[in-house]
Amino acid sequence: MKKTTLIEAITQTLFEEMERDDRVFLIGQDIGLYGGVFKATKGLLDRFGPERVIDSPISEVYIAGGSVGAAMVGLRPIPEIQFADFITPSMDQIIQQAAKLRYRTGGQWTCPMTIRVCCGGDVGGGLYHSQINEQWFFSQPGLQVVMPATPYDAKGLLKSAIRGEDPVIYFEHKRLYRWVKEELPEDDFTVPIGKAAVRKEGDDITIVSYGFMYHRSIEAAQALEKEGVSAEVIDMRTISPWDRETIYESVKKTSKVVLVQESSKTGGVMGEVSASITEEMFDYLDAPVSRVCGLDVPAIPFAPPMEHFFLPNAEKIARVVKKVMEY
Amino acid sequence: MPATKIAAKPSLKQIGLSKETLLGLYTNLLKTRMLDERFRKLFRQGRFAGTYFSAVGQEATTVGPTYGLRDEDIIAPSHREIGAAVTKGIPLVHIVAQIYARINSPDKGKTHPCHYGWREKGFISPSSTLAGQTVTGTGCAMGFQIQKKDNVVIAFFGEGATARGGWHEAVNYAGIHKLPIIYVCQNNLWAESVPAHRQAGIKDFSDRAKAYGFPGITIDGNDVVLVHKTAAKAIERARNGEGPTLIECKTYRWYGHSEIDPADYRREEEIIEWKKGDPIARAENLLLDLGIHTSKKREAMVEQINQEIDEAVAACEKEKYAEPEEAYNDVYSENFPVRRDDY
Ligand SMILES: Cc1ncc(C[n+]2csc(CCOP(=O)(O)OP(=O)(O)O)c2C)c(N)n1
Ligand SMILES: [Mg+2]
Repeated sequence: MKKTTLIEAITQTLFEEMERDDRVFLIGQDIGLYGGVFKATKGLLDRFGPERVIDSPISEVYIAGGSVGAAMVGLRPIPEIQFADFITPSMDQIIQQAAKLRYRTGGQWTCPMTIRVCCGGDVGGGLYHSQINEQWFFSQPGLQVVMPATPYDAKGLLKSAIRGEDPVIYFEHKRLYRWVKEELPEDDFTVPIGKAAVRKEGDDITIVSYGFMYHRSIEAAQALEKEGVSAEVIDMRTISPWDRETIYESVKKTSKVVLVQESSKTGGVMGEVSASITEEMFDYLDAPVSRVCGLDVPAIPFAPPMEHFFLPNAEKIARVVKKVMEY
Repeated sequence: MPATKIAAKPSLKQIGLSKETLLGLYTNLLKTRMLDERFRKLFRQGRFAGTYFSAVGQEATTVGPTYGLRDEDIIAPSHREIGAAVTKGIPLVHIVAQIYARINSPDKGKTHPCHYGWREKGFISPSSTLAGQTVTGTGCAMGFQIQKKDNVVIAFFGEGATARGGWHEAVNYAGIHKLPIIYVCQNNLWAESVPAHRQAGIKDFSDRAKAYGFPGITIDGNDVVLVHKTAAKAIERARNGEGPTLIECKTYRWYGHSEIDPADYRREEEIIEWKKGDPIARAENLLLDLGIHTSKKREAMVEQINQEIDEAVAACEKEKYAEPEEAYNDVYSENFPVRRDDY
């Protein structure tokens, strides 16, 4: 069977969901005529026309906020933010409108929309084409935040997001677009929001990550296996609301945890995961919960040596795992 | 009396610019074009990383307003202002080093290509967030006004960026306070793949100024004399405390949005039509007509510029990237160390 890349899985899903539900429409920069700067929306304009595949002006406030409004009156918008770096203008609409709409109206109004955000480093993008910024959305209740690491999850999570009743920030890591491939089932399937996946079982230590860092983590785990360390690897898939149960179960088994995240350490998702484990699972722990993260600097620098220095990789993860093992 | 068409040769007096200014404009146009074409070639050869945003075809739009500014005047650029960088006087080697992200780049390799900057010449290293520097540039103008300095700011942006909310907040503020700023819109008809008519409901982007109570003017952006003279008037207004001007320069980018964009969303005829109005050729023909330039002089200029570029490129290719630990520098002022984790 043909293998599908992560970006193809996204394109396929958009086709399928737009076919399935005519409330679904797309809006974003260069998504129509051009098919998206990475070609994620290729062919959709031809198939669904300019009323459902809208090339927007350079107006991130509106791309997000206009979508909130359309969702309020019964549509299922899928706005696209071309690069996560440029989501900042949208923050007002995402944080003050999308995240709080249901709450502030006592559930009368809802915002079923899926904001697709192209993100991530290790692509030579420099300060302004490498950011993720997932922690900002993670720290805002009312938003759901997902980041698939595999084509299967890309498809399944996107379907769940589109069919769900809440605003979802759907992060697409551009490093994974064409790098990861797998065979996908023919039949319709979804991946539930809020459920992590145990990708590799192990007894000695738990490595938790998401997105591109899941791949670095599994690389590290495979290398460690040869050195006699049996690591369990969990891909969070959903960042918010995150799956405490799956992670806690693993901690009960291994008693040691390393958390891996591409974004800067301070204020990041893994700080919260770490605090929760320490708070609720202290009795099970045999070593300090440790993190491997991007550097605490403003963004990923451009020059290749600095970019590599910024990013966690398999070697860094393995070193930290060994340190924790020796604790 | 019936009007007779006389193909009169222009005179310096009619043009209203000195020979020196005309040659200065022309030299910067030529240098910008040659450098830009060289960068495109080097990119295709894989000699530097990232991407490249060519401004070939748009040189007059950036060279014209920048020529003649003081060092203290500020340029608030976007991503297609190589002409302003050259004309404002950022040393060639710094421009090339920025493209190569080497340690000798003013930003030390932190940002990606086409984000030139050099404080000494009042040129802000930009963020990639479109219209970002339109806002901060307006803030610089506010600062000059508060300090009672007669410096000015030129903010450059594409027509696409004028759809951003931040752009409107800044321009509105400049209108209220008559700030010393000139907004130069490089309308190249496209924002990546999106044509101008899908970006705004107006035809002339200078109309935007009406809503903010200051003059907006649309001009042929490929006529360097017109661009320079229009900008010079606006600069004088700004220096005299009479407030901002929005100048929309209609122009065209000859190549893709970046070097990896095939730009197949544009019609071939459109490209051919615009190439006929090449701003460099137009300036050159004018100088020839005026008798202040010859093809021999041109050859000598080309040779000299080529040599300068060769030297700058060679110097940068020899330079190293900054050490990885450079990533930790320039986060805060020196008394505030950055958290470092040893993995
Ligand atoms: C806020 C923001 N949104 C999106 C982008 C991605 N982007 C970079 S250039 C560009 C098109 C810009 O068009 P225009 O302003 O007309 O300038 P031009 O490229 O034509 O010179 C886009 C959408 C960005 N850099 N910043
Ligand atoms: Mg444009």
